Amino acid sequence: MGGDEDHHQRFTRLVLPHLGDAYALARWITANRADAEDIVQDASLRAFRAIANVAEGTSRAWFLTIVRNTAYTWLRNNRPSALMVVDDLEKLESEQVATTNLDRGTPETALIAKTEAASLEAAIAELLPAYRETLVLRDVQGLGYREISQVTGVPIGTVMSRLARGRAQVIKTIGGKST
Amino acid sequence: MMRVTSDEDAALRVHAYVDGELDPANALGVEASMAADPALAAERERIEVFRRLVREHLPPEEPPLGLRARVEAAVGMRRPRMQPSWRALAASIAVTAVVASGATSMLVTPSGSNAAREGIVDAHIRSLMASQPTDVASSDRHNVKPWFNGRIPQSPRVVDLGGDFPLVGGRIDVVGAIPVSTLVYRHGKHLISLTAMPAAGHANSAPALSEDAGYNIVRWTEGEVTYWAVSDASAQELDKFAESFRATPPDR
Repeated sequence: MGGDEDHHQRFTRLVLPHLGDAYALARWITANRADAEDIVQDASLRAFRAIANVAEGTSRAWFLTIVRNTAYTWLRNNRPSALMVVDDLEKLESEQVATTNLDRGTPETALIAKTEAASLEAAIAELLPAYRETLVLRDVQGLGYREISQVTGVPIGTVMSRLARGRAQVIKTIGGKST
Repeated sequence: MMRVTSDEDAALRVHAYVDGELDPANALGVEASMAADPALAAERERIEVFRRLVREHLPPEEPPLGLRARVEAAVGMRRPRMQPSWRALAASIAVTAVVASGATSMLVTPSGSNAAREGIVDAHIRSLMASQPTDVASSDRHNVKPWFNGRIPQSPRVVDLGGDFPLVGGRIDVVGAIPVSTLVYRHGKHLISLTAMPAAGHANSAPALSEDAGYNIVRWTEGEVTYWAVSDASAQELDKFAESFRATPPDR
């Protein structure tokens, strides 16, 4: 069928190149490799069904949006306890508006630079989910603020403050561990 | 816009500056404030060291082995013929291991083309792409079995396996222009399609395993019906499913 073939070609061009990023994002969200693979397979199927609607230049952020939503749906259905912290986040953020100012006692950059990969990963994994996904999308996957805002469905200002807080916490954790 | 309203605001701007998110005018403003405030300059340095650390330790990843094949199979794509498939290779090793262990009497069929098998795998893939994998969704065989009455000439054997393989429902597939019954079972997160094809005059045969488009298939013939179980579950689990189906009497 010609129509199907076009969809498959489109899928190959627009979605398949981003499988690595999709898998990494799903793994950071679920902290489980097998779950991440199942989520990517499920998300790919959803992306395939909607492949006619995606604009050329936006396919990566679009696919990662699907992956992220699939991952949270999966968590809600399979591990609701992991999500309870997310529900509290907005309250937490509104309470903490002014707490993440410049922490003038942050660790020395020389200590941070010596951090091992495992400590770095552990420090990122410890973050609240909303901070973690923002940091991963920016620092690991290289998305711009606008794309992150699209993927996570929050305003750019929220992306900026989550990113700054996530980074500050990770830096604090690894700076503390290096001493 | 340019006014720095608080420490937090100033810090966010430094992050945005390092991330290359500011236009030249705003970048200039941040550069001026970093020159004036050592705390902001230190923040910039920390962010840059952190970014270097992430780049060094968490580089972009390749998807795990086999994930691409799984995805391609899920959307009904065929793999390029000349490209060796690690997944297929891994699956064949797994099959060999099972056969060699002598745990079952499974036979490995040649993976040559077979119209019925292709039709059944296509039906399984289509069902995964549909909003529902079943036409009748019920875990109760007393609902599923009567549903087939009047829709197809045969009355399929419907068994409730419970436990590891709960019944999800049933549907009608059309394979080679023949409407046939397909039962859908679940195993963990995997769906198993079990299609019953009329096989009048065929001798009974033991379960035989093969693979098509990334899916595992177990086929056997029993009482003039050939059963085809298709799933992305592992070969061993699909074999366990077949054993369980064959061992369970229909009126349990």
